Amino acid sequence: MKRNLLIGGSFVVLLVALAVAQSAVQRVAAAQAQNGVMAPRFEVDPTFPKPLPNGWYQGQTIGLWVDAQDHVWIVHRPDVLDAAEGASSQTPPTGECCSIAPPILEFDQAGNLLRHWGGKDGPGYQWPDSNHGLNIDSRGNIWIGGNGAMDGHVLKFTLDGTFVMQVGKKGVTRDSLAQDHFFQVAKTFFYGPTNEVFVADGYGNRRVAVIDAESGKMKRFWGAYGKPPDDKAALAQGAYDPTVTYQHFRGPVHCADVSNDGLVYVCDRTSNRLQIFKTDGTFVKEVYIARDSRGDGAVWDVAFSRDKEQKYLYVADGRNQKLRIFDRQSMEELTNFGKGGHYPGEWYSLHNIATDSKGNLYTVETYQGRRLQRFIYKGLVPVKAKQQGVVWPGTR
Amino acid sequence: MPVPRRVVCCWVLVLSGVLAVQYDAATQGSNTGPRYQVDPWWPRPFTNQSWVLGSVTGVTVDAQNHIWVVHRGVDSLETNEKGMMLTPPSATLCCQAAPSVLEFDQKGVLVSNWGGPGQGYAWPQSPGSLAVDAKGNVWITAAGLEAPPTTPARGRGDAVVGEAPATAPGRGRGGPPPGPADAHVLKFSRDGKFLLQIGAPGKMDGPDSQTTLNRPSAVAFDAAANEVFVADSGNRRIVVFDADKGLYKRHWFAYGEKAAGAAPAAYAPNDPPAKSFRDVTCIDISRDGLVYVCDRSSNRIQVFRKDGTFVKEGIVSKNTLGATVTGQFGVVSSHGSAWDLAFSSDAQQRYVFVANGHDKKVHILQRDTLAPVGTFGSGGRYPGQFLAVGSIAVDAQGNVYAGEQHHGKRVQKFVTR
Repeated sequence: MKRNLLIGGSFVVLLVALAVAQSAVQRVAAAQAQNGVMAPRFEVDPTFPKPLPNGWYQGQTIGLWVDAQDHVWIVHRPDVLDAAEGASSQTPPTGECCSIAPPILEFDQAGNLLRHWGGKDGPGYQWPDSNHGLNIDSRGNIWIGGNGAMDGHVLKFTLDGTFVMQVGKKGVTRDSLAQDHFFQVAKTFFYGPTNEVFVADGYGNRRVAVIDAESGKMKRFWGAYGKPPDDKAALAQGAYDPTVTYQHFRGPVHCADVSNDGLVYVCDRTSNRLQIFKTDGTFVKEVYIARDSRGDGAVWDVAFSRDKEQKYLYVADGRNQKLRIFDRQSMEELTNFGKGGHYPGEWYSLHNIATDSKGNLYTVETYQGRRLQRFIYKGLVPVKAKQQGVVWPGTR
Repeated sequence: MPVPRRVVCCWVLVLSGVLAVQYDAATQGSNTGPRYQVDPWWPRPFTNQSWVLGSVTGVTVDAQNHIWVVHRGVDSLETNEKGMMLTPPSATLCCQAAPSVLEFDQKGVLVSNWGGPGQGYAWPQSPGSLAVDAKGNVWITAAGLEAPPTTPARGRGDAVVGEAPATAPGRGRGGPPPGPADAHVLKFSRDGKFLLQIGAPGKMDGPDSQTTLNRPSAVAFDAAANEVFVADSGNRRIVVFDADKGLYKRHWFAYGEKAAGAAPAAYAPNDPPAKSFRDVTCIDISRDGLVYVCDRSSNRIQVFRKDGTFVKEGIVSKNTLGATVTGQFGVVSSHGSAWDLAFSSDAQQRYVFVANGHDKKVHILQRDTLAPVGTFGSGGRYPGQFLAVGSIAVDAQGNVYAGEQHHGKRVQKFVTR
C-alpha cells in the first residue's frame, strides 16, 4: 500500500514535471516566434531579363546599378567571348550565333533592353581595357572603372553615353599615393550629401580614394585601418593565411559603398573582410566573412536594404556563391541564400549586387556566370535557416 | 592602282549582307512545327547545396519517364567551381562536383546518383552520351577528350592580382590527357552495378576491329534483336554488338559502305558531301526501325536500316563551321550543327529534334523528309538559352530535355506552348 502510494506519488510528480517542462518549451517557442530574428526574404525571378536581341551574347558581367526609374544598368566584357560563343562575329563567321553586345546595357522593369552603348575611345576619353564597376549618381550620370593592365582611370557619362569626364588616365602603374590617377579601379560610389565619389582603388592600388564628383579632384585617400596606403608593405604580405590580421588591404579593394548614416563599407576581397570607416577615412571596425576562404576571396560587393535606416546589409560572397544578409547595426549574419551553378537562383561567380526602390535585389556574375538575375523582395520573415539554398517561390 | 577605300567597304557590306540573309533564312525557317518554351523550374536544386553539374554530355529518358544525365564532373570544373575539392580548399560551401550519373523524376527531384571509377571497368576520361535499354540497364560511352588546338585561344579571366593563375590539377592547359584514351562502352544496372565493357581504353585496332572501339560517342538499342548499336566516332563507323555479351555482329561506314574511307578534309559548305563520317556523335533507332546518325561537323544526319543499308541523308545547317577553344579544363570542340537527336513522343515520331551546339539552338525537322519546320533556343546563359547544347531527349509527354557542354553545364526542360 505504502509502496503503491509512493509509485502513484512518483507518477504525479513526473506528470507535473512533464507538464511544467512542456509548458516551458511552449513558452520558449512562443517567445522565439514573437522575438524571432527577422530578415528580408527574396525569391528568384527567372523571367528577368528577357534574352538580348540581335543575337547578342553577354560576357563577364562586372558592374551593376539601378537608376532612379528602377531601370537596371549593367556593364559586361564583350571581349571575353570565346570563338565558340562569338561564332557569328568571327572572320569569317563560323555559325549563326552569337555576336558581341555593347558593354553598357539598360533594362526596364519588364526586362526589355533599352539603351546600349560604349566600348570605344572617344574625344577626350579612353575606354578601359577591362570594364569593371558601374554606378549612377543622383544627377543621372554613369560612372565606370576598369581593371585592365593599363587602366588608371574612371569615366563619367550621361545615361545616353555622352562623355562628361575622365579622372586619371591609361598607362599608369601602381601608386596608392597618386593624386591624379588610380590603378585598376573595381567600383565607384556616388555619395550625395558631400557630392563625392568613393573609388574602390582597386586591383592594382590598395586604397579607398575620394574625389569631387564635379571636378574629379582628389580629396583624400586611405588604406586599411584608415592608415596611409603602403603598396610595398601591402604586396609583401604574401599568400593568404586565415590566422593573420593583415595590416594592409590584400585587395582587390572591390567596393566602397557609403550608407545613409555616413559609413563607408569597403570590400577587402581576398582578406575576406569588410572594413568600415567614416567618410573622412576614420576606421570604425572590421568584420570577417568566411575567413577560411582562399583564392579570389569571399567579400566582393555590398548593397543596403531600401528602408530609410538601411537596417540590412547584403554582402556578395562570390567564393562560396552566397548572398549574405547582415543586420547592419550588429554586423551579425542573419541568413544567406544561393548556391553554385548555372540555374536560376544560382551563381558561378557572384560579382555585384544592387537593389531597386521596391527592395528587389539584382545580381551579376563574372567569369562563366555571365548573367543578370532579379530576386523579388517578399518582406521580412522569421529566419528559419541560416543557409536557405536556392530561393524558389514558396508556392513551388 | 589602289582600290578606293569606299569600294572595299561596300564589298565587305555586301558579303556580310549575304551571310546575314543566309543565317536569317536558316534561323526563321518556316516555323510550322511544334513550339516550345523553357520550364525554368526544372530540375529542382540539389538538396546538397554544394553540388554543381559539370559539362553535360548525355541526357536520356527511361521507360519510367525518369530523366538520366551524365556529366564530366570535376574534370570539367574550373578552379572557381570546385573550391571545396582543392588542396587546401578555397571555400567551405561551394562547390564540388555532383556524382557523374544522375536520375531525376518528372518533378526534377534527384532520385538516384552514382558513377566514377570502380572494380572491373575504366570510368571514361570523358563520358559521351548515355542510354537506358529496355531492361533498364544504363549504358555510357567513353567518348574521350579533344586534342589540343593548333591556334591559341582567346579570352581573359578576371584574375586577381597577386593570386596564382588557376590551373586544373593533373592537367595543364591543353596538355595531353592522363591515362589510356577512351575507347569503350560501359553497361551498368540502373543502380550503378557494373555489367559489361565493350572495347578497352587505349586499345584501338582500327575501323574494322570486331573487339575494339575508338572514342565511341553514343549507343542505341534494338530490344527485339537484343543488339546494341554504337556510334564509333573515332573509327567513323556504326558497329553492332550483342547487348548481353558484347559480341560483334556487323559494322558499316557512311552511306552504308562496307570499307573504311579516308578521313575527310575539314568541312566546307560548298564542297560535295564527304564520303566518310567526320565525327559520329549520336545514334537513335525510330519505332519504324530506322537508324538515325549524327555526323556532327558534316552538319548532316544519315539514315539507315538496321542492317546498315543506307536510306537517306539530310543537312541540318549547311553553313555552320566550328571553333576549338582551350579552357581551364582543357580543349573543347564546338563544331558543326548535328550534335545529338531525339524523336518526338507521338506514335509516328513525326519530328526529329537536333541539338545544334555551335549555333546554340535546337532544330525541329520533319522526320520523313528531314525538312526543317522550326527551332527553339538562342545563345546565352539565361533560362531557355544555350551555350553548347549537345544532348537531347524527349519524355513520354513530349517534353524536351537539352544538356549543355563546356561552360553551359545545365540540363533544361522545354514544354510545348
